[in-house]
Amino acid sequence: MTVSIRIPSSIRRRAILAGATAALLASVAPHVALAQDLSGELSILQWQTGTDGKMWQEIGEKFTEMHPGVTIREFLPAGTQGDPRAGIRTAIMSGEVVDVIINTWPAFRAELVDAGILRPIDDEWAQFGWDDKLNQSWRDLGSIDGTTYGLTYTYGDRSGIWYKTAHMEKAGITPPKTWDEFLASFEKLNAAGYGTAVAVPAKFWAHAEWFESLLLRTAGVETAAQLAAHEIAWTDPKVKGALVKFAEMLNAGCCGDPAVMFANDLGESYAQIFRADEANYMLIGMWTNSLLKNDYGLTEGEDYSLLQFPALGMGFDDTSSVDTKELNVTTNGSNPEAANAFLDFIVSAEASNIMASYGYASPSKAADASLLGPVQQIATEAVAQSKVQFVLGDLLPGDLVDEYRVQLQKFLADPSEANIDAVLTAIEAKAMEAY
Amino acid sequence: MAQPVAPFAPVATDKGSSPLGGGQRELLATRGWRLKDTPAAWLLIAPVLILFGIAVVYPLIETIRLSFFDIKGLGKPKYIEFGNYIRLFSDPGFRSTLTTTLIFTVGTAAISVTLGWILAMLCAFAPRETLPFRVMIFVTFGISEAVSGYIWINILRPDSAGLLNSVIGIFSPGFTHPWLGDANTALASLIFVVAWSGVGLPLMLCFAAVQSIPKSVLEAAYMDGAKPLSIMRHIMVPLSLPGVRVAIFINLLGALRAFDIIYVLTGGGPVRATETVGFFMYRESMTQFKLGYGAAATVVLLVAVLIVSTPAIMQRTAGAK
Repeated sequence: MTVSIRIPSSIRRRAILAGATAALLASVAPHVALAQDLSGELSILQWQTGTDGKMWQEIGEKFTEMHPGVTIREFLPAGTQGDPRAGIRTAIMSGEVVDVIINTWPAFRAELVDAGILRPIDDEWAQFGWDDKLNQSWRDLGSIDGTTYGLTYTYGDRSGIWYKTAHMEKAGITPPKTWDEFLASFEKLNAAGYGTAVAVPAKFWAHAEWFESLLLRTAGVETAAQLAAHEIAWTDPKVKGALVKFAEMLNAGCCGDPAVMFANDLGESYAQIFRADEANYMLIGMWTNSLLKNDYGLTEGEDYSLLQFPALGMGFDDTSSVDTKELNVTTNGSNPEAANAFLDFIVSAEASNIMASYGYASPSKAADASLLGPVQQIATEAVAQSKVQFVLGDLLPGDLVDEYRVQLQKFLADPSEANIDAVLTAIEAKAMEAY
Repeated sequence: MAQPVAPFAPVATDKGSSPLGGGQRELLATRGWRLKDTPAAWLLIAPVLILFGIAVVYPLIETIRLSFFDIKGLGKPKYIEFGNYIRLFSDPGFRSTLTTTLIFTVGTAAISVTLGWILAMLCAFAPRETLPFRVMIFVTFGISEAVSGYIWINILRPDSAGLLNSVIGIFSPGFTHPWLGDANTALASLIFVVAWSGVGLPLMLCFAAVQSIPKSVLEAAYMDGAKPLSIMRHIMVPLSLPGVRVAIFINLLGALRAFDIIYVLTGGGPVRATETVGFFMYRESMTQFKLGYGAAATVVLLVAVLIVSTPAIMQRTAGAK
């Protein structure tokens, strides 16, 4: 697996300065203590709720079992229903001091580094020997200009399409492998009585996953990385090519009435496929595995499965979009030794096995891959064999993300070529301001 | 027809009801009652003043201060004078939210107050018999906006499982419409929902105003042979106007501040079609964390609230004199 990720240059410059300062502070700080010396409170800024929240509780209990002198305080910021970054920022700005932050947005990591909040973990990486557990590509993913800030503890295939196996059987089809097979499957699924082949929850977020995977499959990871860093314009023909392919899918009757897409959120779309049997496919992150197993009570690999994004035959079918979650440690945490030990624990076999039981894959070589369910194994295999690019929406500056969302909604409402040009021109205009 | 009754007697205003003696009252009326004359008064209102300062004045000053800074995420604030305001009024997105806010505010206030007023008039003819209905309608006022939003999401579902679609489907089989996803119906749906939850208060205020009409006036009209519609038109409507004015004022303010229900029902969409200034403020401040820009939008909203509330407050203050 090779990872492609690029942070905008303005963010990079500020991050380097902040990183250097933090590195200087770290060099004069007390050296990392041995595990058996650990004591005190470890504060973790943990914003995940529901089943994921339970997973973190179990991980915390296992850690404190191994380090009885440590107590864990989970700080759950307010407003986790929407974008958790708002709650995290508010907590930090109001003086909340934590040792560890759970993070899933590379652009947010850069913002935290820029504000001098994150401590580099290069020394700890060497000291704890994380090279033995994680490939260099994972370290690159958590780095900004050669300084490591994030330790990836889970990852997901964002180019995987979720479906219910019974739907395929009823329609008499096998999971499509090529783009043409995929487009042809819409009609067969409709004929089998399903209203809409692809569920597109576009109420809050224009379900940009389709565009992002199509960009990778039509233009490759390098183009996607260049777009994320605004080294190519949004009006570039390669970017337009991805939306043209998306329009092909919409025109083939994939997704139904755009007004219905705008009325549905993510939860409603899950229910349409996996409870009401009204729709069939959804392209979304690996948290779906945990949701379907634990909240919907479905059996992984039997009731539902995952198909990799169909091959387009344009020379980039070995690419996938991925999302990850990482741990960051803070410069002002009161218990840096325990924070470092927690990072070491999160890539251990014990923590990885707990995550596997909740349906999450760990990038750690210490993880027992046999514990992963069949769907998770499909996903990890796909990522391992792909050139991957981080989710584009999480790499874009905040100013641009909102325009990206709204313009993609406009595209869903009118996928004509003229409107594609208008949509891309509008995003490019905003990008010119944002970078 | 049941004769109108007035269970709420008019508030006594004769001089004899005051605990103060005539001379003392006249002195206060002519010289004005001043806080400095009564140091104990300061002590009594101090807790309120302190709380007001912490909860209202300080955040207000801080919001105005922030509106002069460019703040992005956790980055350092940069003083930009009126930069946020200039940008705000040149932002087509914000200008669009002003129009949406105007339509939403006037629409919800007009519908809820008109409905509340009409219902109050009708209820006044049979106050005892309509009590359960008034209670049921007023209960909607007590439901939180978010809960109300989740109730209406199921009513306005885009498929045939939605209550509204299924009711229309009785007359037009197979009918479905994405009320909240269609840009042509989303704002109207939102206005209807907010008006539904806002009709209880105008009903109670107007009903109270109607009930405070002296019984003798209504009886005189009845004895003179006035028909119910005439009584309503020439007596009840004009004499209930003070209640209506208060209802309009409260509903306008409520609509200007609306956020929860918009967030739950439409998320400001489709394509920003239902984004009001309040929602814009949330999006800029909390989603994009552009605190300075969001604060500038907040100040604009504050000015709008002041414009709406000042005449009403002045009128009430004048009435108090």
